[in-house]
Parts: sequence; C-alpha cells; structure tokens
Amino acid sequence: MSVILRIEDIECSYGAVKVLRGLTFSIESGSFTGIIGPNGSGKSTLLKSLSRVLKPAKGAVLLNEENLYNLDTREVAKKMAVVPQETAVNFSFTVKDVVIMGRSPHLGRFQSEGKKDFEAARLAMELTGTGHLADRLITAVSGGERQRVIIAKALAQEPKIILLDEPTSHLDINHQIEILSLLKSLNRENNLTIIAVFHDLNLAAQYCDRLILMKSGLVFTMGDPAEVLTADNIKQVYGASVLIRKHPVTGQPSIILLAQDAQAAVKKSRVHVICGGGAGAAVLGLLAGHGYEVSAGVLNSGDIDWETANFLGIQLAEEIPFLPISERSHNENIKLINEAAACILANIPFGRGNLKNLEAVSLALEQSKPVLIIEETDIEERDFTGGKAASLYNGLKEKGAVVLREKILVLDWLQDSLSNTR
Amino acid sequence: MSEQGCSRKPELSQDGELKAVQFRPKRAVSSLDAEQRSQAGFNTMDDSVNNLCANEFAPTKISYGHVYWRFLVNSYDERVWRWRALIFILLAVLGLTVLLCATIGPARIGFGEVLTMLLRRLPWAGSLIPRGDWPDNYETIVLQMRLSRVILAALVGAGLAASGVVLQGLLLNPMADPYILGISQGAALGATAAMLSGISMQVLGIYAVPLVAFAAGLGTSIMVYNLARVGHKVQMSTLLLAGIAVGLFLSAITSYAMITSGQNVHQILFWMIGGFAGRGWDHVKVLLPYIFIGYTLMHLSARKLNVILLGEEPAQHLGIDVEKMKKVLLVAATLTTASAVAVSGVIAFVGLIVPHAVRLMVGPDHRVLLPTAALTGAIFLTMADALARVAAAPEEIPVGIITALCGGPFFIYLLRKKNDPGF
Repeated sequence: MSVILRIEDIECSYGAVKVLRGLTFSIESGSFTGIIGPNGSGKSTLLKSLSRVLKPAKGAVLLNEENLYNLDTREVAKKMAVVPQETAVNFSFTVKDVVIMGRSPHLGRFQSEGKKDFEAARLAMELTGTGHLADRLITAVSGGERQRVIIAKALAQEPKIILLDEPTSHLDINHQIEILSLLKSLNRENNLTIIAVFHDLNLAAQYCDRLILMKSGLVFTMGDPAEVLTADNIKQVYGASVLIRKHPVTGQPSIILLAQDAQAAVKKSRVHVICGGGAGAAVLGLLAGHGYEVSAGVLNSGDIDWETANFLGIQLAEEIPFLPISERSHNENIKLINEAAACILANIPFGRGNLKNLEAVSLALEQSKPVLIIEETDIEERDFTGGKAASLYNGLKEKGAVVLREKILVLDWLQDSLSNTR
Repeated sequence: MSEQGCSRKPELSQDGELKAVQFRPKRAVSSLDAEQRSQAGFNTMDDSVNNLCANEFAPTKISYGHVYWRFLVNSYDERVWRWRALIFILLAVLGLTVLLCATIGPARIGFGEVLTMLLRRLPWAGSLIPRGDWPDNYETIVLQMRLSRVILAALVGAGLAASGVVLQGLLLNPMADPYILGISQGAALGATAAMLSGISMQVLGIYAVPLVAFAAGLGTSIMVYNLARVGHKVQMSTLLLAGIAVGLFLSAITSYAMITSGQNVHQILFWMIGGFAGRGWDHVKVLLPYIFIGYTLMHLSARKLNVILLGEEPAQHLGIDVEKMKKVLLVAATLTTASAVAVSGVIAFVGLIVPHAVRLMVGPDHRVLLPTAALTGAIFLTMADALARVAAAPEEIPVGIITALCGGPFFIYLLRKKNDPGF
C-alpha cells in the first residue's frame, strides 16, 4: 500500500485560538481511517484542512506527494470528495440533478454532461441504492436517503479519497449501519480510501481499520482500533470511565458506558451479592456504579452475571460451567461473605446445584450481618427442588433477612443498614 | 469509474449498449448487507424486492436499474430539447410583443404597417417591399420614438431579471433582488445630485444624469462588497446586511436633499420610480454592451451557479473556485443593474418577481432559468411600459408604478400557492 495523503506537522487556528497544534501522520491508499476525539479536539478542523478549505498556518498536506494547496481546486476535486455532516438543500433539484453535479470537476467551462458522465452518475446511484429516487425532489426524500444521495454525488466524482464529517450522526441506527456498510464495501471492493470523523466510538471501532485519537489539537494516539480504544486511553482523553469488551461477532473493541454517581469516587463498604443466571447483573452494576466494593458468588463461569462481574472487575467465587456448587467454591463464597459488610440475595431460581447458596446466606445471618433478599417473584415459582429451597428461603426471612420487591430500593436499604452497624 | 480503479464492473463501461442480463448481481450491497438491513428494519420497496427474491430473481433488480439508466439519459436529452423549445417560444413571443407595443400610441399605426416598416429596413430584401400609404412622420414615430423605447424596456427587463436570478442564487436568499447591493439607492443619490447641481449638466450635457447615476450605483456596490470582505473571502450574509445598511443611509441623504431643495422634486421622483419617457436609441446604444457582457458572463457560469446552490463549501469540494465565481457574478449583475438604472431609473419588482415566477415553471437549473427569466423579464417590462403609456393617456405614468402594482399581488399569490419555504 502506498501513502496517498501525508500530513506534515500542520497547525491551524481560528483567530487567536490554535485548534490544530502540529499533527503528523499519513494515510495509506485503500485504508479506512477514523478520526475520533472529544468535542473541540479539532477533528472537523483537521478534516477542513485536509479538504482544501482551511489552509494550515504551518505545515503541509500532501496529496500523492504534491502540496494540496498548490493544486488547482478542480484537480483536487477529481481525486477527493467530501461528504458533510448534513447537507441543507432548499431548492427543488431532482436527485439525479444533484448526483450529476458530482461530475462538475470533470467538466470544462463550456462543456455540458455527456454519456460518460451519465454512466458515472448511474453507477454511483446504483452503488448507493438511490436509483429509484432519481426523479424525486431532493427536498422530498428522507434524511437517510438524502445522505445516500450526497454519497452518490461524491462517488460520481470518481474520487480516490472520500472525506466524511460524522456522516451518520443525524441518522437512525438502521441508516447508520446501512451507510457505513456501503462505505466499507466501497473501501474493500473499489479500494476507495476513506477518512471519516466519528462521534460514536463503537461505530468507529466496527468499521475502521485504523483510528486516530485526537486530544486538544494533537494526535493522542493512533493505530488499529484494539490499540487505540483502551479504557485507559478513553479515560485520559474523554475523562470518562468505560468498559471495553470484545464485540461478540466482529471481535472489534466495543465500548460500554458506566453510569456514574458523583459520590462514586469515595470508596464505600464491601457488599456481597449472591446471584446467577442474569438475576444479579443489574444489582452488580448499580452497586459498582455507586462506589460500593462488590463481590459475588457462586457463579458458573460463562454465565451472564459472571460476565458482568468480570467487566466490573468484581471479586467472585466461581464454579465450572453447569456443575453444582462444590465444597471449594462454597467455602470461597463464605469467605467473601465474611469479608463483606452486607449480603444481598438476588431473585435467582434454585435447583439442587445451588442450594448451598442459601446455606451461605443463613451463615451470614448467624453472624448478624445485614441481609437483603430481592424478591421479584415468589419463591414457589422458582423453587425446583421440591420445597427444600422454599423452606430454607423462608427460614432466612424468619431469621431477620429484609425483603424488598424492587431492586432499585437496594441503595436506600444499604445506606440505612450500613450506617446502623457502624 | 473504469480507469480510476473504482469500477466494480468494468464490462459495463466497455460495452456501450447496456443489456439487462449483463447486470450480474455483484452488487455492492450484497446479500449479507441485505440481511443486515432487514434486521435493522430497513424496508424500502426496493429492498423488500431484494430480500424476497434473494439470488434467483436478482435480474429483476438489475433490469430495474437498466430502466432508470435509459430514463436518465433520455430525460436529459429530452429536457435539453424542451429547454430549447421553451426559449424559442419565448423569443417569438418577445418579437411579437415588441411589434405590438410599437403600435400603441396616440398616432394610430397598425401592426401590419409597423411590420412593413421594419421589413423595409432589412439590408437586402428591404428595397423589394413596397411602401404603404402612411404619412412620412409615421416612420419617424415608429422607428425613432416607439421602437427604441420598446427595445430599451426589453433590455432593461432582461437585465434586471437575469441579475435577480443570479443574486438570489448567489446569496441563497429568495428575497434578493438586483438592488440588494445598494445600487438603486446609490444611483438615486447620484441622479438627485446631478439634477440638483446643474453644474454637471453643463459639462456632460443630457447624459449627466445617467452617467452620474451609473457611477454612483457602481461605487455603492463596490463599497458594500468591500464592507463584506474579510481577506479574500466575502460572506454572503454580511453582504446582504451591508447592502441594506448602506442603502438606507444613502436614501436618507437623498430624501434630505429632495426636501431641502424644493425644486425638481417631481423630476427626481419620476426618476426614482423609474420609467422610459423620452428615452431613445442613444440610451439603447449605451445600455446594450453592458447587458450583453453581463448576461454572457452570467450564462457561462450557469452550471457552476447550480453547484453553488449546494452551499459554498460543497461547491468548493466539487472543484469550483467559489470566491472567483462570486466576483465574476457580482460584477456581471452589478454592471447590468447599474446600467439599467442609469437609463431608466429604479424599476422595482421586475428583478424579484420574474425570477421567482420562472423558477416555479422551469425549475432551479440556471442553464434554463437564466435565459427564460431574461426573456420573460423583457416581455413583462415591454408590456408594462405599454400599459404605462396608455393607462392614463395623454398623461404618462412611471412604469415602476405598473410593475409594483402587478408585482405585489402576484408575489403574494406565489407565496400562498407554494407553501414550502425555500425556492
């Protein structure tokens, strides 16, 4: 692969404000590069200076090793097309009129469109699936369709590079996927170089093969999505805590936002949650998000609650998938309960395999630890042991476990019971 | 896209005649994408066809593409012919209107007589046509007085309408008219100064008023342009505001001058409303080169002006030197308008209404909009001038009153009829 665009130490400013403060990188031909970064980090300004709109005060942008700003506007337009965030159109051109305007750089002053131009426009409309809109007015098509028409116009330019500024940020999720898939296939099959600014990190990770992460006018880091999108980088650039997880299908990094409380910074007491099968995930997230130190048990590895606990970096007692709770994991569970200030029993079903969980809870009660039972469904409905679990469960209630029907009240209960014990 | 390495199906471009079967379904949006899209709930008619008949029936989709491709080319060819036909018809109507309006006046001279007089003026065949039995002075009336005036009205109408089209497109503002850059107020002040001072009269003779008006109008628009310029770029919204501000300032001075002078007020007022009374071939000769040059510049930029309607940055991305375009078009529109104002005063509404009405009929493509608007403007102003001559005969009313009287209600009708805000 050869370098098609080389950016050498460019600086740009609006008035006295320096927006780009010396960026250097190069774009390889046929790559799909995403530019990401928080608001005001200079993403759009960078795109402007790459598209020959805003001349950098210092440094150079080289298109095929020629200075972009020394080339003729028309020459640049033959090689590079730009798709803006949104195109406001308030005049009644038809869709095909707009697409054929993409041929403008290929036409001389006295020339009008010929067969070759119609062919290019037709192909662009076919690729973008806008053929059926050809005679509709551009003012009368939906936002997603309009953006596809604008991409068709860009393709009719027969460019080598397409620059896009948040091409899908105004669109519904189905149109986002559709447009980005289209771009990806153009990138793969037609070797089109694509440079796009992204707001949505997950979309960027999904579709780009290279990411440039910007922070206050500088390149913070660049590389493939897995290298760039780490929890640490995002914390440093965006100041937000996130979980990074492998997308189950594509294997690309996928970002999960953590809801955060202002108090979260203050470390609170340890709470142990007994859960499994997805019944505890929400509680685990809630507690972790509010700054509690959380442990969990006994969870079979691979289970949804187990996955959630792993994301959250929670200490847990685990068991091999599909096996009943062994003596070893039971003891581990008890150990965690002993270390915790309170214990919560999630709304889990009981079978022969996890009866030991109920024993562990009763041990906690014997040590007079505050115990909360979240009971969203009656125990009879989730007892698959023929009454054994139900009697143990009801025994817990008699020994003084608090019962709540809604898990959202967990935080209030914790606050109350923990302040009482102190 | 073939040579650019962008082609996915090079066999298409090599084979000039496209056949439905050749469109093998190697679509960019492949079956995988179709799945994704159907999952995402995306369901245009086009897609549901795709999804329903996955691979076996893919040629359905393909022949569909074929159909619209033929349609695309045919409709473009067809459209060009429609445009030409329309322009031809309007030219014929304009010719008839000019002749017809030359028959109007106190001396009763018929259509046939006017036509014969004109044909006799033809270089070769003219001498073959027998002279009719009309009085000698009729020829003078038609050829020297009426025809020059009618043609002047046509030129002014064409110039104002074309300038209006260009400025509305360039400023992306449907309320823009040829006077938006303060030309009218500048020219009015110039004309007022020339009429009141009388000194310039002695130096420049009867051309004093037009010349000073032209210079002042041009000067005002240059000033407005420079007010809106930052470095090499001109902000179109600033241009609009600067035009309004400068215009108001200048018309205040004009009003003050008129009130304090006490004399010539009628004459000044007549000029400011605009009219063709007492204009002749000399004025046509002065105006013609400006209109010709201005219109030619505009017409040559028509395709690029279409692209500018997408917005300045998108136009730049399509290889158009937008700043240069603005300069060329502003110069063209300013020369045309200032020269029109110089010969006929400030005729309102023509440059605002004709572009709108014609745009509703032929669409926003400047390649057809510009010539049809110019011709329609010519026809409209010629007719309005005829009406101005006969409406209150033997008194003559300024044609600007007629255009405003016709234009105002018509404009309101257009606004009510077409409810969407743009143009």
